[in-house]
Amino acid sequence: MKRILKAVATSVGGWFEARLRLKPAVMPILEHPIPAGAAGPKGWWYVFGSASMTLLFLQIATGIGLALVYVPSADQAYQSLEYLNYRQPFGWFLRSLHYWSGSGMVVMVVIHMTQVFLHGAYKYPRELTWIFGVLLLLLTLGMAFTGQVLRWDADAYWGVGVGASMAGRVPVAGPGIVELLIGGPTIGASTLSRFFALHVFIIPGLLITLVGGHLWLVLSRGISEPPVPGEPVDPKTYDAKYHEELKKGKPFLGDAMTKDAFFSALVVLVVVTLAAVIGPKGPGGLPDPTLTAANPRPDWPFLWLFGLLSLSPAGLETFVMLAFPVVLVICLLLVPFVSNRGERAPSRRPVAVLIVLVGGTTLAVLTYEGMTSPWSPKMGAWSGDTIPTAIVKRATPLELQGAAAFQNKDCRNCHALDGVGGRRGPDLSTVGTRLTRDQLIDQINNGTPGGGNMPAYGKHVRPAEMDAMVAFLMSLRPPGQPPAKVALVPAPTAAP
Amino acid sequence: MTTQVLNRIPAFLIAFTLLASGCNPPGKPTPPQTSGRPEAVTDFNVLYAAHCAGCHGTDGTLGPAPPLNDPLFLKIVPDTELVRVVTEGRAGTSMAAFDQKKGGPLTTAQVKVLAEGLKTKWGKPGGPTDVPGYLLTPGGNVEDGAMMFAMACASCHGDKGQGGKSGELRVGAINDPAFLALSSNQVLRRFIITGRPDLGMPNFTEKTNRPHNFSTLTAKDVADLTSLLNSWRSPATK
Repeated sequence: MKRILKAVATSVGGWFEARLRLKPAVMPILEHPIPAGAAGPKGWWYVFGSASMTLLFLQIATGIGLALVYVPSADQAYQSLEYLNYRQPFGWFLRSLHYWSGSGMVVMVVIHMTQVFLHGAYKYPRELTWIFGVLLLLLTLGMAFTGQVLRWDADAYWGVGVGASMAGRVPVAGPGIVELLIGGPTIGASTLSRFFALHVFIIPGLLITLVGGHLWLVLSRGISEPPVPGEPVDPKTYDAKYHEELKKGKPFLGDAMTKDAFFSALVVLVVVTLAAVIGPKGPGGLPDPTLTAANPRPDWPFLWLFGLLSLSPAGLETFVMLAFPVVLVICLLLVPFVSNRGERAPSRRPVAVLIVLVGGTTLAVLTYEGMTSPWSPKMGAWSGDTIPTAIVKRATPLELQGAAAFQNKDCRNCHALDGVGGRRGPDLSTVGTRLTRDQLIDQINNGTPGGGNMPAYGKHVRPAEMDAMVAFLMSLRPPGQPPAKVALVPAPTAAP
Repeated sequence: MTTQVLNRIPAFLIAFTLLASGCNPPGKPTPPQTSGRPEAVTDFNVLYAAHCAGCHGTDGTLGPAPPLNDPLFLKIVPDTELVRVVTEGRAGTSMAAFDQKKGGPLTTAQVKVLAEGLKTKWGKPGGPTDVPGYLLTPGGNVEDGAMMFAMACASCHGDKGQGGKSGELRVGAINDPAFLALSSNQVLRRFIITGRPDLGMPNFTEKTNRPHNFSTLTAKDVADLTSLLNSWRSPATK
């Protein structure tokens, strides 16, 4: 049976080959030699680029599928997503695959870049390959952002709003850029069309073109050999050395391609599993600016930026929005020019390792901050987060009234009790051990001195409410601990 | 060995995809019950958790505000009063207005869902009979109230409502001017009738922690006690 199939395949294949004559063009590409080291166990370092490309193909396939149903108009996009989610057979799975494969693509591109950076593979003669790679990273992030906008929900709406406001701060050209980006001075009917065109035509066009260029460079200059400590790159001698190395090289079609295929299959399997188990993202709340309960968050690739912007001092805002990303991209583009020679092995490049460690930690911490966003008040906490029952059980009638006033005055939106509630201000579970009665009254009445974090609530609190709330707050102490007499922390002072 | 594994990957992938999409994998979204606009939410539990639980407690007990999961309270409170209080709040207290017409976050329909849902969810038939009415009644005698206080309340709350102890439990003052300023006569009357079962305060007929000669409070007793508490208010809030 197997033999018959093989015979049929050979004869059909032969028929086409006799007419197309592809072999002379394709075989040299597939069989081009790669350094012997890259074909061995170290070859596993080289699989991330092809996995990124595999996910790009998956994105194109699922994206075309979604475009058959999705309606890129402000008034129907949300409904068409709901249609995909709940009515179109497998529509939810298509959305889910597209989301998880897109997320996977960002992950793979970042891992690929990190590997190339750590192994010094961007050094002579592969500077241009690196530059194309940086541009591909930007385009991938561009796809992630515009894709988030096409998921036309509250996150998308406010995401465009934030993006446009940032663009609007560009000196002189700002309003023009906003007009171009969202099709008018405010988010409107043509905004979604603009982002649809960006996501479906413009960015993918550039992406595919640059991937072509990137691949051409990989083929023409060859992939880098695994770094060996003590064998620095010298542009004068590198080409000859590499040429010698290729003489001992192995064809790409073989071990290397098998590794690529295996890893890509594994990545796709993970994507499929995530898509099936966790499902598609959103659409979340309606994209309606009159819904004030919206709590928009960017998708995960941008949470670090969200965290950075939120934590930056107001004076630095414009710099962090406009100059910082440009500086970051210029730094990335300059990498192969700053160091295009010398050692490639990470063990001989402590600065490179340090950059990756510090950069990775910074991104992770900022992403965590963006995810938890403790600076945002939790607007529904006052009526939704309960007072811990242990506190209620031991409270006096006055303290109970104080607790009710505490909720009613929205204190809970910024202050947590037992970790539940807003996190903009400190958790007040043990405030009775820290602040005296006078200090509590002062803090509530006048807020943080010098226009600090906490507003002054004196005008919004009646004397009886103040009495009750302060009694309640003073009662917030671990059992057996006396109330604060002299504060353990100094009274807040004005910010410098 | 490796080639054998590799050869099986496509088959495994296809099988997995079919399996994943064929049955109902956990990731398959279920249609939301509402269209996503907050005013379209009409589920009592969702509305209660978002708008009431913060003060009245997760299951209607053990919040700082009066418990709503209290069958005796639900037995005597008129439906119209529930709707009215959720709609416009209770002036002078921490109970906020929840109807959009009064500056609150909810539609009239949602207020109705909440007010009516309380009895459906937590109301129970049975319980004590001859319960004094919920709403405030005119009159009430402060002196009679003081006599009744000594018999029905002082054992826990102290002679003058200054607080005391009930077993291990500390009982706070109820003659505190700030407490009284934030409590309406209506809620005081309600507590005299229903007690606070979640915090161990007996209702109008329970004998827990009360002297042997205690007898069930009558409508007049309740009115007298309310007047007594009202008389403790500082002049500005009477």
